[in-house]
Amino acid sequence: MISLLLPSWPKTLAICLAFFFCLVAKPARAAEPPGVAIGSKSFTESVILGEILSQLARQTGAVVSHRAELGGTRILWEALKKGDIDAYVDYTGTIRDELLAGELPASSPVANNKSNDFPQLRAGLQKHQIHLSMPLGFNNTYALGMRETLAAKLNIKTISDLQKQPGLALGLSEEFVERKDGWRQLASHYRLPQKNMRTMNHTLAYQGLVNDSIQITDLYTTDAEIPFYQLRVLEDDLAFFPSYQAVLLIRADLFQRAPLAAEALLRLEGKLTSTAIAALSARVKLEKISETVVAAQWLRQNLEPTLLVPDDDQSARQRRLLQRLGQATVEHLFLVVVSLLAAILVAVPLGIYAARHDRMGQIVLAMVGIVQTLPSLALLVFMIPFFGLGPTSAIVALFCYSLLPIVRNTYSGLRQIPPTTCESAEVLGLSAWDKLRLVEFPLALPLVLSGIKTAAVINVGTATIGALVGAGGYGSVILTGIRLLDIPLILQGAIPAALMALLAQYLFGWIEKLLVSPGLRLNR
Amino acid sequence: MFKLDKISKSFDGTQVLKPCSLEFKTGETSVLIGPSGCGKSTLLRLLAGLIQPDSGTVFFENQPLSPASLIFQRRRMGYVIQEGGLFPHLTALGNITLLASRLGMTPIDVAKRVEYLASLTRLPMELLNRYPGQLSGGQRQRVGIMRALMLDPPVLLLDEPMGALDPLVRYDLQEDLRAIIRSLKKTAILVTHDMGEASFFGDRLLLLNVGEIVQEGNLDDFITKPSSPYVTRFINAQRMPHLIARTPGEVCQ
Repeated sequence: MISLLLPSWPKTLAICLAFFFCLVAKPARAAEPPGVAIGSKSFTESVILGEILSQLARQTGAVVSHRAELGGTRILWEALKKGDIDAYVDYTGTIRDELLAGELPASSPVANNKSNDFPQLRAGLQKHQIHLSMPLGFNNTYALGMRETLAAKLNIKTISDLQKQPGLALGLSEEFVERKDGWRQLASHYRLPQKNMRTMNHTLAYQGLVNDSIQITDLYTTDAEIPFYQLRVLEDDLAFFPSYQAVLLIRADLFQRAPLAAEALLRLEGKLTSTAIAALSARVKLEKISETVVAAQWLRQNLEPTLLVPDDDQSARQRRLLQRLGQATVEHLFLVVVSLLAAILVAVPLGIYAARHDRMGQIVLAMVGIVQTLPSLALLVFMIPFFGLGPTSAIVALFCYSLLPIVRNTYSGLRQIPPTTCESAEVLGLSAWDKLRLVEFPLALPLVLSGIKTAAVINVGTATIGALVGAGGYGSVILTGIRLLDIPLILQGAIPAALMALLAQYLFGWIEKLLVSPGLRLNR
Repeated sequence: MFKLDKISKSFDGTQVLKPCSLEFKTGETSVLIGPSGCGKSTLLRLLAGLIQPDSGTVFFENQPLSPASLIFQRRRMGYVIQEGGLFPHLTALGNITLLASRLGMTPIDVAKRVEYLASLTRLPMELLNRYPGQLSGGQRQRVGIMRALMLDPPVLLLDEPMGALDPLVRYDLQEDLRAIIRSLKKTAILVTHDMGEASFFGDRLLLLNVGEIVQEGNLDDFITKPSSPYVTRFINAQRMPHLIARTPGEVCQ
């Protein structure tokens, strides 16, 4: 019996193994790795947090994209609601005052307190199908700070302790002095005796602390400069400042679509202190280490000991920069060319229509004029629900801005043709279409082309706003440069943009020579 | 050729042409003459269909001018204005052949016709490749006449064609234009404010004042049988001593 069974052992084993592999392999093949998009605002703390979240989600096998450095709270919020991003970090004060403004029971910005607020915010966000995480652990709000050595000497730990030191000089940022929850209320809240107060630039205030021309300044509790200049953040012991707890906003549907990734993001809850995030920002801003590396190093130390940290040597960075510049050029050209072509196709016929129909023409001109006055950020925020993050929104905005110069010049180009010339064409017996095509449009062409040239040059400059909605281009290089206070990087975006504008100018001069009849250049 | 039936025209409430009926016969050269604003150009523009009468009808070759057929009717009219009304972005040749080549005339026929018209208007062929901006006023005018004659229309409408030319150039062009009109047996309607030019061209002169035809006839009739003191004043204003009419019926020599 046993001897009979024996030879079949390997066979059985093989069958079992095969079955087992089928079980394991099949679902693995069937389930595509889920895609997750993380967003971040265009300041360093936000970009680092975006990198940390991206790497956490990537560890679960998800395909993660980081839409970094988007142009502001409204754009991220619209993108989150639309589903262009799945998660990003924001602050409770911002959620309360901006995202859910008008949707929450009124609460005084000064008197609100963190614990009461939270269920309200969570319920408010739930209505938009957005999940609110527990606080990440740090509070990025206003605070007062002074040099650690001086604070230790005078034994100052809290803002209340300042009452004993009326001689200290304050250097405060203008915004902090102006704000409703700023200096005046703070001074009366704490009964502060200091009279020696002046307003100054935030960056210069740090210099003032170093050379002791001031002793106290206002700061954000996670400023990279706090560890760098060894400052002590005074405790807000009478709870004056509103709470700006960092929290994660996650689309509720991510928990069904990519449950592993969504849960992984939540691992960040309670893990970051103000000191920790300030130190991370300092490494990026002051030591010039990339956000990716800084995020990976932090994750490796705190949450993911197995994570590989990419190296960040100089040559790799140089390569990345060149690559980024090349990519920015392609993206920038794409934005400009597509929006300009679309604008020509629409604006030239509109201009012709306006020149032909007196009253409707005035209305058309007024409308394209109004479009021109819309602030670009407002226009972009308006676009996101329709076109989402990426080049489409930027192209539609650029298209809108290109209309006016082309419509107006086409209109003037046709209107400046002497009536006798039009009549000559008419009496010749040309059809309306031939008259436009063979006589009027060629005569208007120099002005039409100069309108297109104006639009192109303006477009090259304006296309830098594409970075605000993640469409890339030179704007993203400039935005990073501004964020890191990196002048060379700003120039690496600004100079190519200026060159491209010059090139556009030159190119259209050449096109004009090619298209405009030499007979027209005689008279001008 | 043209028949106007009780036509009138106002601009912004001002009557620039009082109701009138009028005929222009085939092969006849008529001259509309009068001071600025008398309605002579308005009348010509009505004939060309550039403006529509408020009342009445314009008949061309026994057909009313109508939007539907206007384009074809115009191809049977040649129209020349001051400076020729040339298109500055096209060469002289481009101006002359613009429509002909669009109407399917073969390049050979076009070339033949252009050569013939150049000899007719005494325009050197080598000037045809120039742009209007590179031509003198008289040359431009000759190109304008060539363009008007390209499709061999039976009618020429001429709106002060010599207005901007200096006297010697004008003299030559007047000679040539009259010769062309006569040799080709065209019906011509010329607008001018120059009595000398009018009598040089016209079999029939029509003097207008404030939207009204005040006298019709030849120069002799105007001098010897003026219909009103206005006619005499207009003749005398031309400052041609041999024509001055002191009183109706009396000519100073």
